[in-house]
Amino acid sequence: MIKNHITTSVRNLWKNKTLSILNLLGLSIGISSVLTLLFSVYAYYTADNNIPEKESIFYLKTVLKNGDEYRSVPYPFLDVIKSSSPKVIAGTHLHGWGNIWLEKDNKDFQNRTDYADPEFFEVFDLPFKYGNSDTALKNKYSIVLTDKVSRQIFGDSNPVGKTLIGADTLNLQVTGVLKPISPYSSFRLGVILPNTILKENPNFVAQNNWENSFSPIDLKLSADTNIAGFQEHITRLVEEHYTDLESISEVKLMPYKEMRTDLMPIVDVIITSSIAASFFILLIILVNLLNLNTSTMLGRTKTLAVRKVLGSSKKSLVYQYCIENGILVFVSIGLSILLFLTVNLPRLNDAFGPEFGEISFNILNDYPVIAGIVIVGILSTLMVSIVPSLRFVKIPVTIGIKGKIDRIKNNFLLRNSFIILQFSIAILCICVSVILNRQISFMKSADLGFERNSILVGNLDLDYKNLDDAQSKFNALLNDLESNPYVKSVSTSESIPSDYYFNYSSYYDPTINNDVRMRRSYADDSYFKTLEVPLVEGRHFDRNIDQPDERPVIINEAAMRAFGWTSIEGKRLNYKDSNSTGLPIVGVVKDFHYEDLQEAVEPLVHIYRSHKELRLHRFLTVSVQEGHEISVENKITEAFNDISSRKTYVQSRLSDMVSGQYLLIEGILKSVNITALTAIFISCLGLFGLISFTAKRKVKEIGIRKVLGASVTKIVLLLSKDYLILVAVAAIIAFPLAWYIMSTWLDKFAYSISIKWWMFAVAGLIALCITAITLGLRAVRSATANPVDSLKTE
Amino acid sequence: MSILLSLNEATRSVNSGNNKVTLLNNINLQVKEGEFISLMGPSGSGKSTLLNCIGMLDNFNGGGYTFLGQPVHSMKEKKRSMLYKEYIGFVFQAYHLIDELTVFENIETPLLYKNVKSSERKALVADMLDRFNIVGKKDLFPEQLSGGQQQLVGIARALIGNPKLILADEPTGNLNSKQSTEIMELFSELNKEGVTIIQATHSEKNASYGSRIINLLDGEIVSE
Repeated sequence: MIKNHITTSVRNLWKNKTLSILNLLGLSIGISSVLTLLFSVYAYYTADNNIPEKESIFYLKTVLKNGDEYRSVPYPFLDVIKSSSPKVIAGTHLHGWGNIWLEKDNKDFQNRTDYADPEFFEVFDLPFKYGNSDTALKNKYSIVLTDKVSRQIFGDSNPVGKTLIGADTLNLQVTGVLKPISPYSSFRLGVILPNTILKENPNFVAQNNWENSFSPIDLKLSADTNIAGFQEHITRLVEEHYTDLESISEVKLMPYKEMRTDLMPIVDVIITSSIAASFFILLIILVNLLNLNTSTMLGRTKTLAVRKVLGSSKKSLVYQYCIENGILVFVSIGLSILLFLTVNLPRLNDAFGPEFGEISFNILNDYPVIAGIVIVGILSTLMVSIVPSLRFVKIPVTIGIKGKIDRIKNNFLLRNSFIILQFSIAILCICVSVILNRQISFMKSADLGFERNSILVGNLDLDYKNLDDAQSKFNALLNDLESNPYVKSVSTSESIPSDYYFNYSSYYDPTINNDVRMRRSYADDSYFKTLEVPLVEGRHFDRNIDQPDERPVIINEAAMRAFGWTSIEGKRLNYKDSNSTGLPIVGVVKDFHYEDLQEAVEPLVHIYRSHKELRLHRFLTVSVQEGHEISVENKITEAFNDISSRKTYVQSRLSDMVSGQYLLIEGILKSVNITALTAIFISCLGLFGLISFTAKRKVKEIGIRKVLGASVTKIVLLLSKDYLILVAVAAIIAFPLAWYIMSTWLDKFAYSISIKWWMFAVAGLIALCITAITLGLRAVRSATANPVDSLKTE
Repeated sequence: MSILLSLNEATRSVNSGNNKVTLLNNINLQVKEGEFISLMGPSGSGKSTLLNCIGMLDNFNGGGYTFLGQPVHSMKEKKRSMLYKEYIGFVFQAYHLIDELTVFENIETPLLYKNVKSSERKALVADMLDRFNIVGKKDLFPEQLSGGQQQLVGIARALIGNPKLILADEPTGNLNSKQSTEIMELFSELNKEGVTIIQATHSEKNASYGSRIINLLDGEIVSE
């Protein structure tokens, strides 16, 4: 019997090839996105599973009186806690202190570097691939690598016992390699060094006091610890040792296993919405399959009736239909797993960036995800088979055998609501896509207040091996460039539009008692000339007049407005409560967009610094006559090839860097486009099913109308009218929503386009066209059918 | 000859809008085993309805229906379907073969629903194919056969469960005269082997194959 069911199912699926393939596509895409979402959620929850005894690990959180919270505490706090409480089994710092350069066979590597106490692996017993965690950090000159870094430096060989030169002077012995860590883990590691090595660093020693908080502390407490009591103990120690208690509200003992949700509440939101999204996608594809199944069931009423006459029970008919859908669903699950492994997973890893390991799928660890999807598959199969088939097996044999399906009643309300819902989402996405597209092209083409074409930018922070040698070669290059006929202007600076540091200083004008917080950067005398930023008052820096020691500055108009000045005549930038004479202001430049257009232009100050300061400037900017970019680029690159440095010199164009600011938002646009496409594809699939249903039901009506003289157009309209109305209703729902979402979003851009009605019209038209084509395909077929065939009685 | 089924004042009516339409009115009929009855009458006289009701695909609303001594009118649906599965075979004007199944599988289907064992099924179907001379066609699908061949398969399928009664609703309605004759001769042969047959037909010639002719008009038996 089961064999017969399977044969029948396969033959049925084959008979409706087009529909089966459409279903397979829709299901595979849908399920693979559900799988991706579920897998991310699962990977997130299990990421820290490789840390044993998580329950007994705690961390300290500093809460300020103004409500701000951070994980750092003063460095000596750990020792005080450890020596005063026997309940602490182990405790460790874990903090950065600059990323160390590691050298092996004359090759240099730099990775994220953390410093930890020798007890680190007693607190976090992370699994080791090579080496022994008990002794890994005991020796002052030891280093532990993550799997990724180990592969980068040593390839696949076991590096334990080998030596790396750290920061040119330290002989570091590799004592261990960690197993791969999930990027969802709370650990973001590259290499770990024992913090005993820092005790000789004068900078570190200067900061190692109760005034500075820069290191997180993690403690492993014995199981019988009274947590409330330990918290009181911590509070007492804070009162006893902290030098500045004014701004601090409390230092809290927090359980480690809740750290991620505590410090990043947004993650919970993301997780919840992922689950909601999976559920929603699933619902939509199931409803579609339900609609399509109902329409195919219509063609089978006769077969069902015949089978009943031949003695089949209703149960057996439903059972056969379950098998048919089961085949469809499980083949889709197979395909979606393939899709997930080959497309979605690599994309997911791209999204995280390659820096901290990658998520991989391992059936031994991740079988619950597959089990989950199989359960979802079974439930879906039951739902999409039983609901329509139950309705059809109830049809009396005498009616079914004649194929009289126009008598079958239908609940259109529910289905129409789903169609409206699907199309609302699709249209919403299209609206967002249209508007975002306009905004991006506006931002890319807007006048930014500086010249960006034919401007070359190179990075100067290259970690030179021999600074004096580099400086002299660089000076030669500067002279060379300045005398090059194709070079209009050369400049060195700390920042470049699209890449300004978040450095701020507050300046004070005592005459009007006004305090202004300004973004601060350093530039040489030709920075504004190179970028062609016009002056509104005063003069440019001049290397013959200005002395770097006097720190002359040029401010922008926004700064002038912020101070409420009308002229810089006789003004200086002073520090509040300072005896210095302040910084002389030599000029004011017109406001220019040093950041992307999402940010408003704020008060900005450039402090003069000589163009020859290779060590301090980050960028070399060269304005070139159009058409000669390549030759000048080659000249600069050649010069830098001659300068030995750890990092490589990278040459770019300012126009690319400016456009590059919008990569993230363009990424968002891309995913909106994909969502819109998927939504409209799935919606149209459902619609196709529905119109097939109607067309079959109305076959006789169409025949009669044609005999009475109706044209093909009239009939196509008759069939598709109702659905076009549904799409219109969806549009009416989607438009105000899209308007609200986009105007809220555009508000976050300091400079944005205004939303126009035609943007919605375009979005609506796109949706309508796609729908019309889908409907037309089916409707025209029915409308052109020969009425002689459809009117023939049995 | 023992009595196979009897109808006593059997009535069938449906509601069409506000009107009650009587399809069959006070039918009294006794069918003995081994009879070959032809139901005749114009379109709409109730031939098909009577066949459907006798075949238990449809129910009488009034009167009594006894099949092999069992009261069908007071039976539960499940029991009724057990009864017709066991004793009744249907032959249709439009053959109603299942398109997705081969000739072999079509004939086999009733046995599947009776939970007959696989080996036994194969033997029975093979016998039937042999008897109807369609062994060479067993792996073909219905659309690959002519109308006469399809009806042959339809009859083979009706016979496979070894029924006592065959109900045939215009079995030759879609066939040409040569095919009709073949099918009718097959029916009369089956009848001689002891199968009771009730057929509905328009054709006097086909009716003459039967041992008894019943004329229907407007849902009533007008003459025998």
